Amino acid sequence: MSDTALRAPFPERAGAALKDTFLQEALTIATTKFIDLRRESFAGFPQGEALRDQARAIKEATLQRLDAHLERLADNVERLGGVVHWATTADEAREIVLRLARERGVRMAVKSKSMATEEIDLNEALEHAGVTAVETDLGEYIIQLAHEKPSHIIAPAIHKTKGQVAELFSRELRGEFPADPEVLTAVARKALREKFLQADMGITGANFAVADTGTVVLVTNEGNGRMVTSLPRIHVALMGIEKVIPSMSDLVVFLAILARSATGQKLSSYTTLVRGPRRAGELEGPQEFHLILLDNGRSRQIASTLREALYCLRCGACLNVCPVYRQIGGHAYGHTYPGPIGILLTAMLKGNESVRELAHASSLCGACKDVCPVRIDIPRMLVELREHLDREKIAPWSERVVFRAFRRLLMSETAFRVSARAGRLLQKPFVRQGRLRGLPLLLGRWTRTRDLPPVASRTFRERWKDLR
Amino acid sequence: MITCLGDVFFPEVGVAMVRLLRRLGVELDFPEAQTCCGMPLFNSGYHHDAAEVAARTVKLFERAEHVVVPSGSCAWMVKAEYPGLLKHDPALRAAAESLARRTRELSQFIVEVLGVTRIESSFAGKVTYHDSCHLLRGLGESSSPRALLRGVPGVELVELPGADQCCGFGGSFSVRLPEVSSAILEKKLGNVEATGARCLVACDAGCLMQMGGGLTRRASRVKAVHLAQVLAGEVEA
Amino acid sequence: MTARADFLARIRREVAKAPGQFAASAVPRPPHPGAAAEAIRRELTERWPQALERFREEFERIAGVFHRVPTLEAVPSVIAAIARERGASRLVTWDPAALGFDPGPVLSRDGLVVAAVRAGQEDDAARERHRAEAAAAQIGVTGADFALAETGTLILLSGAGRPRSTSLLPDVHVAVFGRDRLLETLEQVGVMLEALHADADRSMSGAMINFITGPSRTADIELTLTRGVHGPKEVHAIFVEAP
Repeated sequence: MSDTALRAPFPERAGAALKDTFLQEALTIATTKFIDLRRESFAGFPQGEALRDQARAIKEATLQRLDAHLERLADNVERLGGVVHWATTADEAREIVLRLARERGVRMAVKSKSMATEEIDLNEALEHAGVTAVETDLGEYIIQLAHEKPSHIIAPAIHKTKGQVAELFSRELRGEFPADPEVLTAVARKALREKFLQADMGITGANFAVADTGTVVLVTNEGNGRMVTSLPRIHVALMGIEKVIPSMSDLVVFLAILARSATGQKLSSYTTLVRGPRRAGELEGPQEFHLILLDNGRSRQIASTLREALYCLRCGACLNVCPVYRQIGGHAYGHTYPGPIGILLTAMLKGNESVRELAHASSLCGACKDVCPVRIDIPRMLVELREHLDREKIAPWSERVVFRAFRRLLMSETAFRVSARAGRLLQKPFVRQGRLRGLPLLLGRWTRTRDLPPVASRTFRERWKDLR
Repeated sequence: MITCLGDVFFPEVGVAMVRLLRRLGVELDFPEAQTCCGMPLFNSGYHHDAAEVAARTVKLFERAEHVVVPSGSCAWMVKAEYPGLLKHDPALRAAAESLARRTRELSQFIVEVLGVTRIESSFAGKVTYHDSCHLLRGLGESSSPRALLRGVPGVELVELPGADQCCGFGGSFSVRLPEVSSAILEKKLGNVEATGARCLVACDAGCLMQMGGGLTRRASRVKAVHLAQVLAGEVEA
Repeated sequence: MTARADFLARIRREVAKAPGQFAASAVPRPPHPGAAAEAIRRELTERWPQALERFREEFERIAGVFHRVPTLEAVPSVIAAIARERGASRLVTWDPAALGFDPGPVLSRDGLVVAAVRAGQEDDAARERHRAEAAAAQIGVTGADFALAETGTLILLSGAGRPRSTSLLPDVHVAVFGRDRLLETLEQVGVMLEALHADADRSMSGAMINFITGPSRTADIELTLTRGVHGPKEVHAIFVEAP
């Protein structure tokens, strides 16, 4: 989506997405598949429900002593010869990486998929500083070539059809490639293998970090996570502070449900546990390991109504089932993190004002809460967000006036009855074949595409005396 | 509890429910001062206002042994949200918790309290059932409505593909983001028509407004009706 | 960059403000992980046939190729057969001391070029040489520290004589292991990890542990599954029966 398109108000962006037939097709295929895979996986996994409860409890327990766990993590990483950096803001995090790159003479960095690095716009900063940053996750590689942002938390290029990818590769890599995922994957494998072997720095996120042992954990499928943490001489891991967990015993609880929730796999192809830089007897591995702990608005949520959003494992399951995401895709949301959890994360990272429209991009159906591996009550928090928008007067005053008036109507049986009668009168010009059509103003938004039932000629309470 | 939409737009549903429950031997009262459960205010974030409406509603139903609601979302609002909304006033909170215990959506009342699943109705034909979000996920209910439909001798219940997917109503969502709401609805109605059913049955006025409004707009042969109308044999031809 | 003390102080302040959503605790760690690990190993010496059956099922479900041989001596010819079938000419292997056997002689007789890592040679020249060999090899041969039946996963610790790329760069990865490596559940893996880290410096000579569950894969293009993205396209497990 172009920058000007992104500045359009959310309903316009959503409208554009609805008209994009390529996108609609891609979204339907992808989200349906993800849903089926997840369902199948949990259907054959009776322990799953108890594990989800346990995972949620671990996240909550960790938050209750977050500082202590982070301290232990840092001590252990340093004991192993790693360096820990503390980044309160996105700016600081970027600076840390750039300084490292500068001081170590880094010319090329290879990246494993990391939403945290997207969040802080790291790639742009690196490019500006003259460092080539190569995305190596296939989906990220595709969108990097296309100069786009990811549209899904775990499948960044899901909005692209194979035809579009073939066209993109043919153009950017100067070749003639068919719309065949096997061929296109092989093309990427070849192009990126060289980069892995030549890069000076590997940059990753972290799915988890184990405080007890100083271990950073990466959950991946392609092998690029292993490449970037073993081949270049420096490894930098950027991690949101909420990713820390206490022990290895906790880790396996999450491993048991994360891949299932994300892709329906029992485990992803690779789970990589990184304990600092390479040890003395190792032939391979980075000489330097840097862990950047990122706050960027997270700590402020610990004591707020959005606290539960800090449990998020970034699995993407909520996106796949969301009726809104399934219709408009990730780009229309206009922020790094899309979908139901994305609205909460955006509020967390950029403040409530940033989600004045997005907070209403939900029918509150609850499908997200159903599939969240750590049972985050997203609908409840969306309603809380809406409450904040009202309380902080971010919601438009015209809307607040309407709702206040509505409350007055509901507090009085007389007012309610009179309004119904008034409605019966006012609707007369709009009744067609027993239905309301072509209504003006706000209700016109309904009748553009749907009929409305008219106010009944006798309401229930008017009929009650005959029923009594 | 008839609900605001039920009172004003779907009185026939309330009437069908009354006749049905009386036939099943239930003595009914309708506290006439009732208006709305306050969910539209709550969902849009106007919690102070919603709490006022909740307090009023709680008092209105103090003396009812059971409160029956032909709407999953309203029943959910009372059971799940009222106690929290009124938590700052101990008396109101206790009253809200009591009301929450005594309140049930219609199909849950018939199956759980009356112990009935087989109802003779003059309605006959193929129907398909849509799971309203708040009834399904909020109240954990997907079997009672289906059991009741299957229990009507003349009814053939066909499963709706994606029955558990939202219809796109979402209250004010339907007019805040009408295009998205309609696109979601289109998907739902495509599935509905593919079942070949004569009637689409749901337990929520909001869903029925959305789906019914879409069906008549496309001049569909499928009619959107409430479960109460099917069970009471009060579906218009 | 923020100072550590300030960063942590801010978090401490926020944590103090919040009572917490509900009473919750993390998973209790085994009080004696070494003993717990021993207990699991003892149980598995009884149950290994069932665990192996389950491993095979799960491994094949994720496109792993399973082989079973009576003794270590039989392993090299299985590897040679794989090499023949794939038209491979170059292999890279862990240090034979780490593998528990040396496939070099048999494979070289077949005309295959085998680059075996030797623990104790970790200078820059050795590093460069090894990287070139690993990048050029079509098959990588390793052991496995654990084989998890529940998911068909091979768990490999990196370290001296057991580089990370042997199971990563070549198109084909072959892992050789015996009954003493089998584990049944992820929960048991948790115990093993606790035990390993309780005495990390002694039990692990490397800084990386990899759980390998089948070949490398992606579904990033239209959710169509393809194998062999950056990592191996094929994974073979050779189970050696003899204890």
